[in-house]
Amino acid sequence: MNIFLAIILFILLVIISRKKGIKIFFSIIINFILLIITFYLIALGLNPIFVSIIFCLITSYIVLFYINGKNQKTKTSFIAIFIVLLLMLLFIYIIVIKAKLGGFGSESSEEINMFSYDININMITIEISLIIIGLIGATIDSSIAISSALYEVYYNNPDLSTKNLIKSGMSIGKDILTTTINTLFFAYLCDFMTLLIWFKISKYSLGDILNAKVFASEFIKILSSGLGCIIIIPITSIISAYIYKNRLLIEEETS
Amino acid sequence: MKKRKIILFLLLILSIISIYIVNNNYNFYKEKIIKISNVKNKLETVEKSPFGLEEKYYKQIITGKLLNTKDKNKTITVENTYTTSNVVTEKYSKNDIVFIKDNTIIGLKRDKYIIYAIIIFVIFISIIGNKVGLISLASLIINITIFTIGLTLYQKGINLILLIIFETVIFTIVSLLITNGYNKKTKSAIISSLISIFVLIGLIMLVKIITKYNGINFNGMSFLTTPPEDVFTAEIIIGGLGAIMDVAITLSSSFDELVKKNKKISCEALKESAKNISQDITSTMINVLFFTYLSSALPTLILALRNGFTLKNYITSNYSLELTRFLIGSIGITLTIIVSTYSCLYIYKKEAK
Repeated sequence: MNIFLAIILFILLVIISRKKGIKIFFSIIINFILLIITFYLIALGLNPIFVSIIFCLITSYIVLFYINGKNQKTKTSFIAIFIVLLLMLLFIYIIVIKAKLGGFGSESSEEINMFSYDININMITIEISLIIIGLIGATIDSSIAISSALYEVYYNNPDLSTKNLIKSGMSIGKDILTTTINTLFFAYLCDFMTLLIWFKISKYSLGDILNAKVFASEFIKILSSGLGCIIIIPITSIISAYIYKNRLLIEEETS
Repeated sequence: MKKRKIILFLLLILSIISIYIVNNNYNFYKEKIIKISNVKNKLETVEKSPFGLEEKYYKQIITGKLLNTKDKNKTITVENTYTTSNVVTEKYSKNDIVFIKDNTIIGLKRDKYIIYAIIIFVIFISIIGNKVGLISLASLIINITIFTIGLTLYQKGINLILLIIFETVIFTIVSLLITNGYNKKTKSAIISSLISIFVLIGLIMLVKIITKYNGINFNGMSFLTTPPEDVFTAEIIIGGLGAIMDVAITLSSSFDELVKKNKKISCEALKESAKNISQDITSTMINVLFFTYLSSALPTLILALRNGFTLKNYITSNYSLELTRFLIGSIGITLTIIVSTYSCLYIYKKEAK
């Protein structure tokens, strides 16, 4: 059935954007293969956090340079994404360890009781990887939108000061913030809904829900994604303004 | 400007109050709560899984002071087991605050971390996003409230699918109105979103009838009393909603600009620019859904692979749910682009005449 749906998606993509549609479809497939390889490497026992950071960088590389072309705008975005990843890693690392969000809560026992729990991988690191991978999509999205728009602003008004450039980057960022947060909210609500229905059926009190591991880990995942696409705004703005103003990273322009 | 300062001030006060509450709310809970003051760890055994993986089992002897109930301040001692992986167990350390029931630890007190995370999020969104940030925040709160009311109605026995379709309409109207105000742009975006949503729902129903969700593994949802197929349908309707609204508002804002600048702009020119805009947003929107949905399977996947499942086995059985969600969401985005282009075109062209 998924193959059937994939074919529909392919046809629709080609209808709306022809050649670029094919490109988008192939980048989905490449991302999927990379994701599976990442999961596989983690399962083999490599350090999950390290592997997932590398995965995020490779994915950003593909999405930025393969889909959008290698140029000043995309290189700027890449630097911004890298910085945001490191900052978010710090935040996620602290909160996941403090709130002990690794592993499964008692609510999932039915789903996983067919497995042996002796797997010799620290589940805390798995949770950190999962949150990092979950936030990269929205972060890339916001970053490229800001750096492209700011590029237009700068090359149409080359006299703008760095400060004013940053300011206009921030206001572009704010415009997309609402829609990105909205998109994330509903996507995660879909992911979250089974659990919320289950809480209702099992008559969990508010206190039970707020202290349940399964709720906390979903919730922190959502907030981290949101936080990622908020802090990417000033970071991309500042870096773009600096790079455009000083005309850096343009020597090997290809497109 | 002044209003914003007042709101920020109120948010600050609210944060301080909630930090105080979550650090002093022990009496709200019926379960005993202790603050751990001393932990002794001892290696118990080393187990070997059927797949040759070594797992160390530790025993902890934990002493702590009771923070609530009538025995407050009394010291109690409990035992706890943890392992290297901690798939279902937990390692506790000094200063952790935990719930106790029948002399075992049932879990960490996590409410304060939830509150801290919310506060950090609110601080960033209101400083960086400024007024827009506060509006998004308001829209989030209202949407959560609507959803909670919906859940209560569902519990009272209302059909889930009908409820979700109804909520979807409210979500769309409310979110777009709050974030963009009442104007032509918003009206056009609401109409386009609603048409797209109904086309998407039609498609989902069609897929459901044709494939009967053949090949999707609903194992993870077996605890529900409602048929998992219905819950799944409701979820995929909701999941694409944000993306649909995003596409609709982006298209109608740009049509608005174009028509404002040039009243006589041709249908062809509008279509062409819609095409350019949608090319830019499709790949990024699809990416958002991709990472959101497909990453969430990681823990179960690791557990399965470490239990001798092959990758191919896992992808075709357990992973199908996430994949279907992602594919239908993406189809929703592309459909919306087509539908929104024509409905915005219709709305703005009718006006131009």
